[in-house]
Amino acid sequence: MIKFIDVVKTYPNGTQALRGINLTISDGEFVAIIGLSGAGKSTLLRSINKMHSITSGQLFIDDVEISSIKGKELRMLRRNIGMIFQSFNLVKRMSVFNNVLTGRVAYHSTLKTLLGLFPRKDKLLALESLETMGILDKSFQRADQLSGGQQQRVALARALTQEPKVILADEPVASLDPITTVQVMDDFARINRDYGITIVANMHHVDLAVKYATRIIGIKDGEVVFDGPSSAINDEMLVQIYGRSLKHDEVLGE
Amino acid sequence: MAKYTIENGKTITKPFNKVWIVIGIVLSLVIIFSYFITFEPSLINLPELGVIIKKMFTPKAGRTWGDYFGFINQLWEPLISTLEMSLAGTVIGSLMAVPMAILAAKNIFKSRFVYAPIRFIMNLIRTIPAMLLAVLAVYFVGIGVLSGLIAITIFTFGIMSKMLYEVIETVDMSPYEALESTGASKTQAFRYAIFPQVFPVFLSYLIYIFEINVRASAILGYVGAGGIGMVIKDNILYNYDRVGATLILMLVVILAVQFTSNYIRGKLQ
Repeated sequence: MIKFIDVVKTYPNGTQALRGINLTISDGEFVAIIGLSGAGKSTLLRSINKMHSITSGQLFIDDVEISSIKGKELRMLRRNIGMIFQSFNLVKRMSVFNNVLTGRVAYHSTLKTLLGLFPRKDKLLALESLETMGILDKSFQRADQLSGGQQQRVALARALTQEPKVILADEPVASLDPITTVQVMDDFARINRDYGITIVANMHHVDLAVKYATRIIGIKDGEVVFDGPSSAINDEMLVQIYGRSLKHDEVLGE
Repeated sequence: MAKYTIENGKTITKPFNKVWIVIGIVLSLVIIFSYFITFEPSLINLPELGVIIKKMFTPKAGRTWGDYFGFINQLWEPLISTLEMSLAGTVIGSLMAVPMAILAAKNIFKSRFVYAPIRFIMNLIRTIPAMLLAVLAVYFVGIGVLSGLIAITIFTFGIMSKMLYEVIETVDMSPYEALESTGASKTQAFRYAIFPQVFPVFLSYLIYIFEINVRASAILGYVGAGGIGMVIKDNILYNYDRVGATLILMLVVILAVQFTSNYIRGKLQ
């Protein structure tokens, strides 16, 4: 469970990215966060694994208040939260397998991992994740030889290898073509359904958000302006989130 | 400054490219300095050059071609010394450069209180020419291979630390962010996100610097730093044929090193 209580984030330059967020996300939900660029979606997402720390308020992950934790405790928290990025964030010249294996690094002491040695169990786990994502046959290719969609699957396999409870996705399909986008979103849906992993994703495409997520959170100027099931999204709500109604081709990401 | 007007009447001006200022300054400096350099054509002695080249590449009076190439047999030991001190100096100097380069990289240590003093030390070391390092080393540890090794180590350290921190600064930091998001410590994130990007380039540089060092160490022997350079120094006034034979051997060895180096570095890309 993820719980925001009056969460405020002010950047050092004075920008108020989050202005009093109150939210509760239960285990196993598939939540899409929508809103304009600069509305605070990314800040909201990154405050959950403390890649950005909040200025005030409280943020609970499974009853642990995370705004004050640091060091080993913080790393233990992050271990349970996978993260997917718009530009995949893989080491391009490393093999797919080694990229996925880095999902296990945080489970071992720094000294052990410096030598690059992992237990067999971890290696098998990495291969299982690759099989789940349907790219086992690509394991020993260099990451940069894969297509964008395949690279995002490698990133998903890396996240799965962490054995996380939650996966955060920051614009996961924004740099993919329409066909690949659907495939990767299907992967998210499958992971959510088969493994019960909570998914929180920032999305640009409203139609994709409505199709895949069970719940939509609309953010405008650092505040939650809509929070409800994806079936409840209509034109009126989109006006609230985006400031004006969206034209047909703006809703459709395809 | 070029000004363009497009069909609808809008105009846009291309800004002045500052590279032209730099080129202008360099050219004027060349012209100014050339005025101070005295050039005396009568001092050029082409026939003498021919004589020396002939002396170098034919046996000395009273010696046969067998003697000429037989001399190469006496060169194996100094040659191996040269290669040894080049290799060891390159490896030791490169390894010493690694922690310095990490400390000097702005994207790893964001505080200027860390990278600024480190860079100052690095720049200072790089200003010393390899030859001077060798002279100093001979002064401190005496004539021999050890002083060559010390000179090459410091020389390598100077180049490698500079080249390496520039590589570290241009790596893709996005996987570092990803590693931190998995709960990895900063050291672990460096090991798995930065190191794999830097290591092949490091190896490539190491081989390239080794190539430079083989050439440099041949000259270092001239000031007493051991190896094949000492053979040239010992023979240069009286035994031009031996200098010639040594040069032929060095040419072959350096070409071999260059080809191998290019081959390996090609594979590392």
